[in-house]
Amino acid sequence: MALSLEVRKALPGFTLDVAWEAGDEVVTLFGPSGAGKTLTLQCLAGLVRPDSGRIVVNGTVFFDGALGVDVPTQRRRLGYVFQGYALFPHLNVRDNVAYGLRHLTTSTRRERTREVLERLGLADLASRRPRELSGGQQQRVALGRALAPDPALILLDEPLSALDLPLRQALRDDLRAVLAEWRTAAVLVTHDFTEAYRLGDRIVVYEAGRVIQTAPRAELLWQPASERVAGIVGIRNVLHGTVLKATPDRIQFSWRGQLLEAVNSPTRSYLPAPERPLAFFIRPEYVRLIRKDRGSPDPGHHMNLMQGRVVGEADFGTTWTLYVRLDAPGAPAQGEYDLEIEVPRLVYEILDLARDRQWQLSIHRGSIHVLPSS
Amino acid sequence: MDFFPLWLSLKVSVTATILTVATGLPLAWVLALKRFPGRDLAEAVVVLPLVLPPTVLGYYLLVLISRQGAIGRVLDAAGIELAFTWRAAVLAAWVGSSALFIKAAQAGFEAVDRRLEQAALTLGRSQWSVFWSITLPLASRAVMAGTVLAFCRALGDFGITLMVAGSIPGLTQTTPLAIYDLVQSNRMAEANTLSLIAVATVALLLMGIGRLARLRF
Repeated sequence: MALSLEVRKALPGFTLDVAWEAGDEVVTLFGPSGAGKTLTLQCLAGLVRPDSGRIVVNGTVFFDGALGVDVPTQRRRLGYVFQGYALFPHLNVRDNVAYGLRHLTTSTRRERTREVLERLGLADLASRRPRELSGGQQQRVALGRALAPDPALILLDEPLSALDLPLRQALRDDLRAVLAEWRTAAVLVTHDFTEAYRLGDRIVVYEAGRVIQTAPRAELLWQPASERVAGIVGIRNVLHGTVLKATPDRIQFSWRGQLLEAVNSPTRSYLPAPERPLAFFIRPEYVRLIRKDRGSPDPGHHMNLMQGRVVGEADFGTTWTLYVRLDAPGAPAQGEYDLEIEVPRLVYEILDLARDRQWQLSIHRGSIHVLPSS
Repeated sequence: MDFFPLWLSLKVSVTATILTVATGLPLAWVLALKRFPGRDLAEAVVVLPLVLPPTVLGYYLLVLISRQGAIGRVLDAAGIELAFTWRAAVLAAWVGSSALFIKAAQAGFEAVDRRLEQAALTLGRSQWSVFWSITLPLASRAVMAGTVLAFCRALGDFGITLMVAGSIPGLTQTTPLAIYDLVQSNRMAEANTLSLIAVATVALLLMGIGRLARLRF
């Protein structure tokens, strides 16, 4: 499967202008609501006609504004799982799944329908109407209906948003397994980063009708292209310092009166001039608390040492988030605090963090991620 | 007692209702789903027969279908006589009842979730196939209700029928016209019987609508 898409569409008060490509994989379109993700799917499926652009799937031109090509929806043969599923309420599960198999002979159609129902574990529900199904079952039927005609590409619009949270997490992994098992390339829309990360091999980040980064999922998490991507992806502790010295493998900079050192990106090293402002981020779970019962910290092991005080905390069940204010003059970097730190519950208990508030912190230079200036 | 008016009314109303559904379904679908220039005008023309005085409507129809009229001339050339025949009564009932059907069916089509039709298209079905398998079944209650309303209206038409078909006993005199005639000639017992039958028929049909309205998917 090969997909290349370039679409412009102006609506009142909103303009979509995006271009991205995908191969044999699951691509997630991720971004806040109203960023144009669903509109992109609709253009792909031919439900909305772009003003201009070009959409090619597997060598077939679906749309070309310049050449006046616009293949109608029913001949694009893509699977589409709608938000809220859009199951046909007057048809039972079997007839919903068989709906896209009209072109087959009766016996082949019956055979294929039974196969799909069985593979998705829906065989026992075949005679039920959609309203008699749970949210999770409805999702399965919607998947089955879209997959039954064996499309080269399946489009999924917020496939999990109609579900309650515990079920949502279970079905997220379930959906991943189904997509892997059916070996179907997929484009999936979500506004939940965990979902985007868990389900997508590649993530396309949308903001206000534009694509601000396209990357394999791990790269997005560790090397966001800009501060805006970091913000949308939900990266915490995005901070601003001043460059002291940059070399291809290290960047030294000052922040809140501290001298910090970060590893420069091996793939796209970044060499800002001294005195330039610099954005960087530190993942909360990568800040180390230095144990007081183990002697003084080893400078070779403990880099970027800082002193601070826990000024706030939040209990997330299995983890605690601590808000630390550095022992440095001036206003804290993030309102009341400078750094957000995440520790497992066990660590919280062992270190007696509930009572002991004054700590020495260390951040490995590899855990400080410099963001290219945007 | 002469039961011909009842028989004629049934024939006229059934024919007119079939005509109404056949012409009204596509029109209702277009009005519900398509945006085109002149749509507001089309809506107004559809509703007009509901609000015009039946005699005015009947007068214009008569002008159109009489031998000198635009339609009458064409029919005359083809050797078809329309004015003052039972077919004119069908025309009258059709014109009088179409708006009720179209409005009901249009509302039914508008209420169907467009994403269901889109889903059907993505599954490779043509617009035509989507209409018959998704849109119409999901709007079926409204369409049935519109059909029954149109039938009742066709059964009860007086003014338009009188203008274009006249009230020729044994030829074009439908039940409402016959009842009027009977009352005029003071044959109250017969008027009573016909009226009761008319009321019973309509009441039964309306009860049928009530049942339909409670059907759910």
